[in-house]
Amino acid sequence: MNALQVINARFHYDTSVVIDNVSLSLTKGEFLGIIGPNGAGKSTMLRLMCGILKPRSGDITLFDKTLSEQSQKTIARQIAFVPQETHFTLNFTVEDVVMLGRYPYQRPFAREEKKDFEAIDYAIAAAQVEHLRKRPINSLSSGERQRVVIARALAQVPRILLLDEPTSHLDLHHQYSIMESLKKLNAEGLTVAVVHHDLNLASLYCARLVLMHGGRIVASGTPNKLINEETLNQVYGAKVRIVQHPDRGVPQIFLHTE
Amino acid sequence: MIKITLMIIAFLMAVAVGILAGPAALDAQIIQLRVWRVVLGIFAGGVLAFCGCLLQGLFGNPLVEPYTLGSASGAALGASIGILIFGAISPILAFLGSLGTGLFVYTVARIEGGLLRDRLILAGVVMSFLCSSLVMIIMVVGGRELYEILYLLMGYLGVIINSSNRMMIIVLIIISLGLVAFLYRFHRELDIISQGSETAAGLGINIQTFSIIVFFSSALLIGLTVSIVGAIGFVGLIVPHVSKLLFGPKHRFNLGASFILGATFLLFADALSRVITVYELPVGVVTSLVGVPFFIFLYKR
Amino acid sequence: MTEILFSIGAGDKIVGVTTFCTFPPEAKEITKVGDFSHPSIERIIGLNPDLVIVNLPEQSRVKKELDKLKVKTFVSSPASLSELYSELAALGTELGQRRAADSLISYMKQNLQAVTPAERRRVYIEISPRPLITIGSATFLNDLIHDAGGVNIFTDLSKDYPVVTQEAVIARNPEVIIVLHPLDITGRVGWQSIHAIKNGNIYGNLDPDQLMRPGPRLVDGFRKLREILND
Repeated sequence: MNALQVINARFHYDTSVVIDNVSLSLTKGEFLGIIGPNGAGKSTMLRLMCGILKPRSGDITLFDKTLSEQSQKTIARQIAFVPQETHFTLNFTVEDVVMLGRYPYQRPFAREEKKDFEAIDYAIAAAQVEHLRKRPINSLSSGERQRVVIARALAQVPRILLLDEPTSHLDLHHQYSIMESLKKLNAEGLTVAVVHHDLNLASLYCARLVLMHGGRIVASGTPNKLINEETLNQVYGAKVRIVQHPDRGVPQIFLHTE
Repeated sequence: MIKITLMIIAFLMAVAVGILAGPAALDAQIIQLRVWRVVLGIFAGGVLAFCGCLLQGLFGNPLVEPYTLGSASGAALGASIGILIFGAISPILAFLGSLGTGLFVYTVARIEGGLLRDRLILAGVVMSFLCSSLVMIIMVVGGRELYEILYLLMGYLGVIINSSNRMMIIVLIIISLGLVAFLYRFHRELDIISQGSETAAGLGINIQTFSIIVFFSSALLIGLTVSIVGAIGFVGLIVPHVSKLLFGPKHRFNLGASFILGATFLLFADALSRVITVYELPVGVVTSLVGVPFFIFLYKR
Repeated sequence: MTEILFSIGAGDKIVGVTTFCTFPPEAKEITKVGDFSHPSIERIIGLNPDLVIVNLPEQSRVKKELDKLKVKTFVSSPASLSELYSELAALGTELGQRRAADSLISYMKQNLQAVTPAERRRVYIEISPRPLITIGSATFLNDLIHDAGGVNIFTDLSKDYPVVTQEAVIARNPEVIIVLHPLDITGRVGWQSIHAIKNGNIYGNLDPDQLMRPGPRLVDGFRKLREILND
């Protein structure tokens, strides 16, 4: 079943075309990676998929209902979006930040209810930030902050989780623990789509990859099928060598130099 | 809890001081006069601080307030034009002035999907200068109106209430308080917007609509306030910061606390001006004289 | 000032006035140099006057400019009746109309004779309602009220036109209120305990020009004040 389907979408800022007639379906329960060089349109694609940007033409459906016909709050109850970087101009506690994820369920003037607290307890546990719960957000490291943002997204109790480069600028520990958490959530039934800069991580964790270039999807398939020297040379303009991951057997990429 | 109690006690003290302090002996008439003055103080201090908190939240910028956005100066310009043409302050012209500058600033700062915060402040300051210059022209052209405009620019609570303006002021205050209550419902949205417009959009907030509602409601509030008591400065800038220091960043507390603290601050400032001199000192003068050292102390602590 | 010049027979010597100079009617025919507070220096110079009469403090900027340009000025800022008389005498000498000036002074002195009632009624003068502007002791109107048998409730303030609080007015509880603007003051909240309002001693029909502009018309204003304060 298609959780999210993008059909012939186009998008442009002013004159420069960013998304050029792209179609993509996200199957329920899958773990999709969107890869591609800088400026390929990956992030824009993600924003179209969660309704932050509206396509200039084409159509996007969420569980077979047109996205643009649904209120932003309705969408936010089904899709959670984790931006690449979040600046916290106000120094909330971790708990308060996660509670903001309950916004799509709350009515104006109403106080938080029992199910809100249950949801943030679950989200805080799933993102492994229990020990940071009462800490002010700006006292955390960037990796810890990213996990809090994921917790906030999980508090939305979404059916689909979209993440824009969740592990960029993070150290190995945080890269590992965030990707492992996502894997676990995916195993529990959450549909996940991640924009990835790091091809090795994408290959290691994503069941299916979509390669974007110049606002189009140029290839799609399992890491084994999609990642090959010829394609990467073409799209990235860099010479690479590909080897098998010692444990998982998926392709891993090395730069080739003389 | 203790902080909230203390705040309420301070507020009640300010009200008591507002009613008790002053040169005249207490009798039914003086009490009536002071109750009105206290009502104006609560209204103006509360609304200005509330708007400051709201705008600082919306634009994620601690420098934003009715003055830096140009709304207060625009309202003062509108009101001055009213004084020149009709010989009286017109709330509608004040609102139009505040709305006009607001619109201009908004248009300058608007980009696709959001607002440029730096440009917002810059446009606001530029508009403030423009409006001040236009007010100066009106002061030069007008004769007797000069004093009235001067007091309008600094703001004062010694407004004479009489049988002809009493109803209008009551109605304007009720409209303003209604707007404040309406805007308070957006405390969660403001919390979320502080974490970026993408986060907000992802959580289901329509930023465009939301910004327009908040921006123009506050322009209306500022216009109404200025038309009654003039453009009292400083309250809208300082009080939200004090509130944030006391109660943390959540707008659920901050919006309410800003209102109460703003009212408290203005009442004390006004009582002070009334006790130290028989002259009517524009209360805006006292708010800055008292507020600046207090603010520096608070941040240096 | 313009009306003083006319009344001492120097009206034909005037080459320029402000828009504020509306009396006598002939004054309106004379070239205007701008309004009272902001006359144009260039226009003044353009008329090439031998003497410029400036009113302080309102026209202090004009005086500074003219001093720089070495234009002769005569300063007028009468803060009391006696200052007004000595100014008139000096002006008469300056313009070669000393005799006419002296006769104006004696006319005014004769008609502005002080009365001394057993009890002086407390008077509040309101020039503007927003903000409340009244008169302090640095005005000849303050003297006029005193000489007419009353006392200005703000005679202790040494300024000319102080801005005061409503409370100060109520606390000083005037017995007579003279309103020099067209608005009604009887419905004011908090003012109902004031003696003058309770007893209806509010006078809004006096001509401000007869009270606030130096010149022979003060005599008419004084007569009305005397009537009000001694009925």
